[in-house]
Amino acid sequence: MTLETPDFQAYRGEAPPRFANRSELECAKVLDYYGVPWEYEPRTFVLEQDDDGRVVEAFKPDFYLPEQDLYVEVTVMKQSLVTRKNRKLRKLRERYPDVRVKLFYKRDIERLAERYRLELAS
Amino acid sequence: MEELGREVVRDYDGREPLLVAPLKASVVFVADLSRAIPIPHALDFLELASYGADADTGGHARIRFLKDLDSEIAGRDVLIVEDVIDTGLTLNYLCKTLALRDPASLAAVTLLDRPYRRLVEDLPVRYVGFTVPDELFVGYGFDLAEQYRNLPDLHVLRPKS
Repeated sequence: MTLETPDFQAYRGEAPPRFANRSELECAKVLDYYGVPWEYEPRTFVLEQDDDGRVVEAFKPDFYLPEQDLYVEVTVMKQSLVTRKNRKLRKLRERYPDVRVKLFYKRDIERLAERYRLELAS
Repeated sequence: MEELGREVVRDYDGREPLLVAPLKASVVFVADLSRAIPIPHALDFLELASYGADADTGGHARIRFLKDLDSEIAGRDVLIVEDVIDTGLTLNYLCKTLALRDPASLAAVTLLDRPYRRLVEDLPVRYVGFTVPDELFVGYGFDLAEQYRNLPDLHVLRPKS
C-alpha cells in the first residue's frame, strides 16, 4: 500500500518518511499541524545480541520528537501482538533507561481522530 | 470548583490575572471558575481552528487562530483555562504563541487531565480539577459533534455493546 506523503513542515528528517500504515501517517499529520518537530524512525535500538555480537533483536520506534526528547511507537496491532511490543518496550527501557518512549495504541489515534475530526481508514 | 478557585486566589491575589479560555468546550468551566475566584480578574477568549477544518490541505495545514484575544497580554499574568489536557499539543502551541507576547507569567488550569497520554511534557499546568481515565466525556461544555454541551454535568460516553 502506498500512502500519500504531504509536504510536511515540522518534519526534521532527511529522507522522505515512508509510513507503514495510515495511523502512522495520521499521527504525523497531527504533529505537523501543531508544529511539533518530529522525525520518522531515526534510530534503531539493539535489544539482544548473540555471543558473537550479532543483533538478534532490535526495536525502531516510529517517531522521535526532538523538542520533547521522546520516542513514540504507534501500533495498530491486535492485542496479542501489542503484548509482544510492550515486552520490547520494557526491554528497551531496561537497556536504555535514559530513553523516553511511549506506545500509542490504535485507540489513542482514534481518539485523536475524534478530537481533531480526522478520517481514518478502517 | 471552590478548591480550584481558592488555589488561584492564593497564587494570584493582588495580581489581577487574565483568564484565557479557548472556545468552545471550556466555556462552562471558565464561567464557573471565574465565579469561584473572588479577586479582581479579567476574561478573554480565543478559538483555534480544529484539525479537520484544514485537513484537505494535508501537510500544509497548520494550526491557526480563528479568533485571537481581544486583550493585550504584555506584562499581565495569564492563566489559560482548558477543558481537558491529554497529548498537550494544543496547550503547547498556545503557550509558545502567547509567550511571544511577553506576559508577566503564563500558567494553565484544566478541568480534566490525562497525563498518561502526554506527548509534550514541559507544560505549565498549575491546577488540575480531575485526573480522568481514557474515556470520552460529554456535557458541561464537552461535545460530540456539537451535541450535549448543554448537559449540566459531565457524562462518560461509551459505545453500545
